[in-house]
Amino acid sequence: MRKIWLSFLMVLLFVSLATAKEIKIGVLSDLSGPTSAVGRPYAKGILDCVKYLNSQGGIAGYKIKAIQVDYAYNAQQAISAYKRFVNKEKIVALQGWGTQDTEALTRFVAKDKIPTFSASYSAHLTDPKKAPYNFFIAADYSTQIRAALKFFKENWKEPRAPRLAFIYPDHPYGLAPIPAAKEYAQEIGYEIVGEENVSLKAIDATTQLLSLKKKNPDYVWIGGTTPSTAVILKDAKKLNFSPVFFVNIWGSDENILKLAPGACEGIYSLQAAAIYGQQVPGMKIIESLTQGQVQMTHYIRGFASMLVMAKGIELAAQKGQISGPAIKQALETLRNYDPLGLTPPISYFPDDHRPNMSVFIYQIKNGKFNFVKQVDLERKKEWLGK
Amino acid sequence: MKADKCGLFFESYGQENQIFPSPVQKTCLGAFLLFLLIVPFILDSYYLSLFNLIFIAVIGAVSLNLITGICGQISLGHGAFMGVGAYATGYFMNLGINFFEALLLGGLVASLVGIVFGLPSLRLKGIYLAIATLAAQLILEYVFLHWDSVTGGSNGLALDAPAIFNFYFDNDLKMFYLLFFFALISTLAISNLMRSKYGRAFVSIRDFYLSAEVIGINLFQYKLYAFGISSFFAGIAGGLAAVYAMYITPEQFGIHLSISYLAMIIIGGMGKIIGSVFGAVFITLLPEFLSIVSQHLSAFFPDISTYLLGLKEGIFGLILILFLIFEPEGLAHRWHLIKAYFKLYPFAH
Repeated sequence: MRKIWLSFLMVLLFVSLATAKEIKIGVLSDLSGPTSAVGRPYAKGILDCVKYLNSQGGIAGYKIKAIQVDYAYNAQQAISAYKRFVNKEKIVALQGWGTQDTEALTRFVAKDKIPTFSASYSAHLTDPKKAPYNFFIAADYSTQIRAALKFFKENWKEPRAPRLAFIYPDHPYGLAPIPAAKEYAQEIGYEIVGEENVSLKAIDATTQLLSLKKKNPDYVWIGGTTPSTAVILKDAKKLNFSPVFFVNIWGSDENILKLAPGACEGIYSLQAAAIYGQQVPGMKIIESLTQGQVQMTHYIRGFASMLVMAKGIELAAQKGQISGPAIKQALETLRNYDPLGLTPPISYFPDDHRPNMSVFIYQIKNGKFNFVKQVDLERKKEWLGK
Repeated sequence: MKADKCGLFFESYGQENQIFPSPVQKTCLGAFLLFLLIVPFILDSYYLSLFNLIFIAVIGAVSLNLITGICGQISLGHGAFMGVGAYATGYFMNLGINFFEALLLGGLVASLVGIVFGLPSLRLKGIYLAIATLAAQLILEYVFLHWDSVTGGSNGLALDAPAIFNFYFDNDLKMFYLLFFFALISTLAISNLMRSKYGRAFVSIRDFYLSAEVIGINLFQYKLYAFGISSFFAGIAGGLAAVYAMYITPEQFGIHLSISYLAMIIIGGMGKIIGSVFGAVFITLLPEFLSIVSQHLSAFFPDISTYLLGLKEGIFGLILILFLIFEPEGLAHRWHLIKAYFKLYPFAH
């Protein structure tokens, strides 16, 4: 009996020692909801990064404890999970996920002063006046589309204006970048010939594509998720409709190769992080963590998101205090921080939370993602939040 | 009540019609309300936030119960009616109107919209009406997303914390009392409505529309009343949800919200006010409870944590199904049985 007590006490002591120097962060993930197909790899990236950081001795001597909750892409569950994070677990920072939870929590995190990284790259989250505690590590949706338009325009050889069309779901996420894209396209000399709505749950896009085909666009933007993009691409192939398709960050990950084999050949994919196996400094770490199992690019973005947050925490710790406001301030001093080459360098400013103005453009060739170019835009004031 | 008699004896219709007929009930309710009033001083802000979500859900569920459980008109658009209240409240507050008036206006706008979408209910019944209200859900979602100047479109709408005479309800403790007040008022209002002419008319429409019409109830008029009143309270619930989160987007008021409110009243017990309260508590707490359990489980099995955490939704569904099989009349019925057991103790028959 005594032995049991003793070992119990030892365990207690051990646990209390282990928890003595610990930073808690909350991780809101969608593991079972409508976006879980991409939510899982992203969350795995975050947790693997925590594992990696802890194996390196943590941040400034503190171990990171990531507390993960699956909120199934439901705003209400996100709110209650968040309240638990803040009041019970006393987190100092939050790794969020989609549009639903990030926007529902925008005001809460500002009030509680919890720096929040999300994978919702809506441009309005980059304006600290509206969302002072929100950060993310990829160029926002509007910047992504602008970068692609710039890239195509620069490579456009014919004397006439290139014809452009948009396909997107009638959904907050699909609609977000469209006004910015239209404005910029007109500014740099595109002719906008059409737009169509294809739902995220579509199983057929023939009608929409037939009407677009008549307008004969040179470039077609596809906003959506990988399954809806696959439907569009397959139907386009059936109809012999072959403009240059360019697809947004959530619409063209590695799954497109399985969902639309052949049909996805030649499309351009806009990404913000390296793909698995690309020759960048951080890839070695990821490859050893995942034991060579290929991960989606979302995994790498999750990993990078956690790296940047850790950098903020580390800078705050150097100044002597790890708290929400201190981490926010530290993050706002980041200038061209390179998260091991996994994403383009990242800077935040007190009045501008756009991480960078750079987009990685990939093209699918022979069933593989080929890195084409990193496109950089100017950090224009008037684009902030739009 | 006479001292020489056992049980409750009523000598007038008025007595029989009381919401809380016995002194025991009154005392229990009083004690419960008193308990709720002091609870915020005992619990921390996480539990209070759960209470707050429950209060909002109670208003929503009680109002859906009015139209679906009491009047028998299935509504799949309840989430969208809440959305109308939320956006209207937000819009009016951003115009500078004070919180109470904005909330009332929000309720009224929701009520009007509810009446408009209730119009088909004269011709349509059962599953057909369900589809018509589903259409309302989809149309309203479209409006939320595209009426940019009012709803903020895909960017959503930011609101300030509600204030009454410069007193800001800006934390869970203050919100607790505000939401508690509204939940109490709404529940009492609808319970009272039940024993009025309107309530009896609603029940008779639910039980058999033909007999209701034969005894002189104007079906169309009363169905629209039901839609109007129900949507009014839905609008209030939506408005409160909006000021609680202080940020609303179209996604929050999707079909999933309508379904989860239907689940609340089915689990709680159709047509029973107390049932909607139980349902609201149950559906709000169950995912939270499951996520705490799965979180602790995954601490023991870190390698499969993503699967364990994800399992939650499946278990949630399973529990709902089991509930429908083993407790088809809802939690209200079980509550009734429990009360009866203690009332008759030790001579249960």
